[in-house]
Amino acid sequence: GRSRRRRRGPGALATAYLVIYNVVMTAGWLVIAVGLVRAYLAKGSYHSLYYSIEKPLKFFQTGALLEILHCALGIVPSSVVLTAFQVMSRVFLTWAVTHSVKEVQTEDSVLLFVVAWTITEIIRYSFYTFSLLNHLPYLIKWARYTLFIVLYPMGVSGELLTIYAALPFVRQSGLYSISLPNKYNFSFDYYTFLILVMISYIPIFPQLYFHMLHQRRKVLSHTEEHRKSE
Amino acid sequence: FVFYQVEILDWETKKQLCFLDKVEPNATIREIRLMFHKLYPRWYPARQSIKLDPKGKSLRDEEILQHLPVGTTATLYFKDLGPQIGWTMVFLIEYTGPLFIYFLFYFRMTFVYGLDERFTSSPHPVVNLACICHSFHYIKRLIETVFVHRFSRGTMPLRKIVKNCLYYWGFAAWLAYYINHPLYTPPSYGKKQINFAVIMFLLCEAGNFSIHVVLSDLRRNGSKTRKIPHPTKNPFTWLFFFVSCPNYTYEVGTWISFTIMTQCVPVGLFTLLCFIQMTIWAKDKHCTYLREFKDYPSHRMSIIPFLL
Repeated sequence: GRSRRRRRGPGALATAYLVIYNVVMTAGWLVIAVGLVRAYLAKGSYHSLYYSIEKPLKFFQTGALLEILHCALGIVPSSVVLTAFQVMSRVFLTWAVTHSVKEVQTEDSVLLFVVAWTITEIIRYSFYTFSLLNHLPYLIKWARYTLFIVLYPMGVSGELLTIYAALPFVRQSGLYSISLPNKYNFSFDYYTFLILVMISYIPIFPQLYFHMLHQRRKVLSHTEEHRKSE
Repeated sequence: FVFYQVEILDWETKKQLCFLDKVEPNATIREIRLMFHKLYPRWYPARQSIKLDPKGKSLRDEEILQHLPVGTTATLYFKDLGPQIGWTMVFLIEYTGPLFIYFLFYFRMTFVYGLDERFTSSPHPVVNLACICHSFHYIKRLIETVFVHRFSRGTMPLRKIVKNCLYYWGFAAWLAYYINHPLYTPPSYGKKQINFAVIMFLLCEAGNFSIHVVLSDLRRNGSKTRKIPHPTKNPFTWLFFFVSCPNYTYEVGTWISFTIMTQCVPVGLFTLLCFIQMTIWAKDKHCTYLREFKDYPSHRMSIIPFLL
């Protein structure tokens, strides 16, 4: 028989808020997508498209910090630590790399991760919206658990190439670095830090990727069973 | 007088690992663990998790067979907890590391600050003072581990100690690096700041030690039952009027004083992490006290008087 699952989900007010939040985020990333397409058509090339979507990108990617709060308040059933980690890494790339090191803003690698993020987020937020309204089209579910296969490596490549491109400029300007002696007896080398960040992708990326593949098998085969039994 | 039969199954595979015939009804889980150990020598008692339910909590050594919700044929589940290490050994390893690692930096070993600086000493007295305080803190902890602490639980998984050591030893190295660095800058407010910090340090260490003695006395007769700790004639223990875990309060105080003494950001960061970790432990302990004792003093907070 079917096991009884006791779901303690968010209350009515929290659900309404979450629906609004996810709709707004979907709209925001659609704005970024449209902005990219329009800028491409206007310029005739795909170089330096970052400037045309810089502000909405910063706004909506930073807005994702709210999701950490959602987990902490318990209205979303994800782990705070995992969500915090994912959002912070995005915010880090947006502000501490792309925004701070102006010279990389013209790199093509920026377009690579922005496109990957945009498509991923549009699908993800619409997935949440429909889930909250208990009416999830199979297409959205399929898209969420399939397109990542290409988008995830694409995004990671864009991110790594961008950080790599930023390195010489960080070294040159001593950005965010502090050296001894100083009255706080502390030193920090942002250049070395960025290299460590790049190295950390090596253990982290495969784990997350295979986790998503595993989730895909679980979620999509489960739906298949349901459809067959109907 | 009925003898019990006990079968022990693997918690995952449900395979029968052993079948004990003619077990006395008043046998303790400890005795069952010893019997199991005889059959499987590599699974010593500390490594055995024996439970009533495959996904449940491990049964304590003191539990008696006939008081458990089982029939005369009892089914218990076994889970291997992995190699275990005694708490005393854990603390000895965790505390000896920072003690010696600090010395590597204090004496400026060759590989630390480069060949030019090897074995030189700092012109600042506060650096020597910091070394004395840091060493005093860890020597005191080692002495307490051997002579004062009475642990309620016997062992800890071996894997956890690797993680803990990386954390404590790593941080000790990180903060020792900056304090003993040739380019170290002494505190901004000079002697006033250092003297204040030293006094605060000594008071907190004395306080921490007093609390450990009180807690140890609660378990004087080797009993494992929990009792409510109370303030004694020693003024340092009067913090018990306000908090459940004054030992953690004093410990955070020690690290705050060390931060003030050295005016070093890594020390401050370590203090912050200590504070967070100890607040979590204190709240946990506080909740346990509240749950177990109906007459627990209601105005007590967990770690900071009146606040937290």
